[in-house]
Amino acid sequence: MLEVEKLGKTFKLPRRAKAGGKTGGVDPRQEGRSFHALREVSFKVEAGEILGLLGPNGAGKTTLLRTLSTAIAPTRGTARFDGVDIREEPRRVRQRIGFLSGSTGLYGRLTPREMVSYYGRLHGVPAAELPARVDALFAELEMQSYADKRNDDLSTGMKQKVSIARTLVHDPDIIILDEPTSGLDVHAAAGILAMIEGLRRTEKTVLFSTHHMHEVERLCDRVVLIDVGIKVFEGSVAEMREAGGDEALDRAFLGLLGKGQGATLRKGAA
Amino acid sequence: MRGISAVWIVARKEFVEMIRDRKTLFFMLVLPVVIIPVLGNVVVDFTLDVAKEEATKTLEYAVFDDAGEPEVEAAIGRAPAFAKVEIGSREAISAAIAADEIDFALVIPEIDRATEPLTVELHFDNARQTSSVSKRVHGALAGYGEQLRDAKLAEVGATTAEARELLLEPMAVVERGTATAREVAGEVAGGILPYIFIMFALLGALYPAIDLGAGEKERGTLETLLLAPIRRRDIVLGKFLVIFGAGVVSATLVVITITVWIAAKMESVGGGAGELLSTIGPLDMVLAWVVVLPITAVFAAILLSISIYAKSFKEAQSYSAPLQIFAILPAMAPMLPGVELGWGTALIPVTNVSLAIKEIIKGTIDPMMLVVIIASSSVIAGVLLGLCTWWFSREEVLFRQ
Repeated sequence: MLEVEKLGKTFKLPRRAKAGGKTGGVDPRQEGRSFHALREVSFKVEAGEILGLLGPNGAGKTTLLRTLSTAIAPTRGTARFDGVDIREEPRRVRQRIGFLSGSTGLYGRLTPREMVSYYGRLHGVPAAELPARVDALFAELEMQSYADKRNDDLSTGMKQKVSIARTLVHDPDIIILDEPTSGLDVHAAAGILAMIEGLRRTEKTVLFSTHHMHEVERLCDRVVLIDVGIKVFEGSVAEMREAGGDEALDRAFLGLLGKGQGATLRKGAA
Repeated sequence: MRGISAVWIVARKEFVEMIRDRKTLFFMLVLPVVIIPVLGNVVVDFTLDVAKEEATKTLEYAVFDDAGEPEVEAAIGRAPAFAKVEIGSREAISAAIAADEIDFALVIPEIDRATEPLTVELHFDNARQTSSVSKRVHGALAGYGEQLRDAKLAEVGATTAEARELLLEPMAVVERGTATAREVAGEVAGGILPYIFIMFALLGALYPAIDLGAGEKERGTLETLLLAPIRRRDIVLGKFLVIFGAGVVSATLVVITITVWIAAKMESVGGGAGELLSTIGPLDMVLAWVVVLPITAVFAAILLSISIYAKSFKEAQSYSAPLQIFAILPAMAPMLPGVELGWGTALIPVTNVSLAIKEIIKGTIDPMMLVVIIASSSVIAGVLLGLCTWWFSREEVLFRQ
């Protein structure tokens, strides 16, 4: 189970940073040289549950996922994975999570077997068990035919499978997926979605950010919507439709953004 | 996971990736092994060929004798490989030399023989560094000059060789150099060898460093690596070891290549140059290699810090360019006149290593100073590695926007 408690993240902006960043507009998250990317975000994800993390570009989804995965440290609040605190024991947390994003790359000069084994070793998979674990994953993902070719020579779909195997090699309890289908063709994206569906059957906790509402409808038990670093909605997909005032999920999403706390903040800043 | 184990896992993977990268292999292995002998042979052979050609080629010349001294022309004519040619007038001398029609011209102005010495003006292209005209003309005319001098001395009563010498040189300053042949060789070779060693240590480490830091960001693998349950210090150490190793391999290969090249070349070069080369022994090269090690570690730590900061391969290349300048200039210190190894220069990074290598080759290194240089460079490398680890833990460096 994942418990997120009033999680906040503030970045110090460089001296040359202008209000509103690149757009030059007014950004309600900026106060002087402080940029509040996340403000007191709280939610829970139960074991075996798939939670969709939604929000417009720049809402703070990636910052939230990076903070939860301990790549960056929170400024306020905390989160616990089955009681293990991300602030106090980040390395134990990393032991339990698998992370995949659409922009995750591969080591081109390694083979899938070498790369997945490398991550297995880094995550402390015992040397005696690692080859069998890698073989089992490759069989499950149908990767045997190119397991020993260089990653640089693989197609996009094959590369995506290598990334999936890399994410799962240490059998993590919690899977964090940051827009995992972003930039992928239909075939490669289908592989990712099938993997997420497969995780549901193994009782893993999945936290999954996306812009694609069909993925939300197909996979997510519940959703959390964030805007300008604030949680503006938490509930099931049905509850999101109801709160957003539309049966179509994309319009419900826009409806929630229009009347949420984020919109109020934006108006106030303007 | 224990730290050493994690460092080893990271280093092993980085090593495998590095040796599969052709660009890195070129800079680390091919460049030191191929470039040094090729360039060395080209430079030495070219220099020897030019010197030989200058000494033996037929020099074409013109003479304008207003003094009526046919012996001058006759003396030149007796010397080997001179050929007289006619040009229109003495005003055409410069143009004829510039047009390569003649190599030189002799102009002998009219003089009052009772009161003035015989003057021979030598017109030649003195901008050509390899020109042997002056040396060969002086050699050809030396006999006739002595003949005239002896005749004049005989007129004042100095008829024997001893009397002439006493009259011409009543006081002689005789030079007795105290430097050994090795010191003389070290002064020459010690200027360029440290520069080569240091540059190759830097070049060998450069591409692996860029690939292991900025390359991770560009490929999108950094984030997953950071999420491994190991200390960031261990990631830095693993990467540092591979970059340092690449620099050491490059420096080692260049030291071995130069040692072998010197051994092979001193026989074919022969003469004074061969004798000078023979004074540089393998042990000197081993000691020079030892001194280069800590400075290689310094380069590895700086390059890794730069590379981690950069967002892309290209950016890392741009940022590392100033480091190359900062390494090149101090490495050239032994080539500058008057720059010697002392307690002051012993504390200047890179310069101290460069000057120490020169002293090692000359055989005049102070062992205590050598220890201080190795120790201080090692301490600097350790501090920089510590800073690199701290740098690698900063979010604004790892996730620069």
